[in-house]
Amino acid sequence: MKTLIVSLAIVLAGCSTTVPVARKFPEAPEVLKQKCESLKLIEGDKVAITEMLKVIVHNYSLYHECSTKVEGWNEWYEAQKKIFNEVK
Amino acid sequence: MWIISILPEWAFHLILTMGIIGTVAGFALGMIPAIRQYKLPIQVISLLVLSLGLYLEGGLADYKTWEARVKEMEAKVAVAEEKAKTVNVEVQEKIVTQTKVIREKGKDIIKYIDKEVIKTEEVIKYVENCPVPKAIIDIHNDAAILNKAAEPKDKK
Repeated sequence: MKTLIVSLAIVLAGCSTTVPVARKFPEAPEVLKQKCESLKLIEGDKVAITEMLKVIVHNYSLYHECSTKVEGWNEWYEAQKKIFNEVK
Repeated sequence: MWIISILPEWAFHLILTMGIIGTVAGFALGMIPAIRQYKLPIQVISLLVLSLGLYLEGGLADYKTWEARVKEMEAKVAVAEEKAKTVNVEVQEKIVTQTKVIREKGKDIIKYIDKEVIKTEEVIKYVENCPVPKAIIDIHNDAAILNKAAEPKDKK
């Protein structure tokens, strides 16, 4: 009888499980996934300095557009990471 | 525990109650002649039933605790998903607006070059007499495609 009581006490050990809630990391906005445009080249052999200046201005615009996207990625990631880590 | 999905909740309570009654009968009511005769089998069986009942009740309680935690987590995840969507919209709108402003400003500068700068006497003289040397154009163009050098060769 004693053996039976002891063995039953051992068998009555509890179990543990993890919380089965699937989570998915959010999809990034489409605008961030677009590739940065290639820089414009100066065409022609004899080019006026004003034409060259226009290409340079255009390329500066492209750089700033691209840098906006990179900053957007950082901002998006930091915000999403914070939200993701808040769920515990 | 798989058995929880098969048996109804009351079955667990019934098993435990039967185990308790049997154990009490086997140990405390042993002096009654009708029970005394089957004392040992009653004790063994009721202890087994009591143990099973306790185990199942424990499992049920554990299951309910986890179920509550799952619901709590699901609610938190739903809130987080909503927040994530809001952040996506905010970031998207911000980038679209900034890109639009940058593009417009760039176009404005180019328009200004075409309309104003090009008409300046000093610039007219310079444009007429000094075209940009090809070497400088080549260097500019090489710099503009610097990134191609960093791309993997099989992509080229």
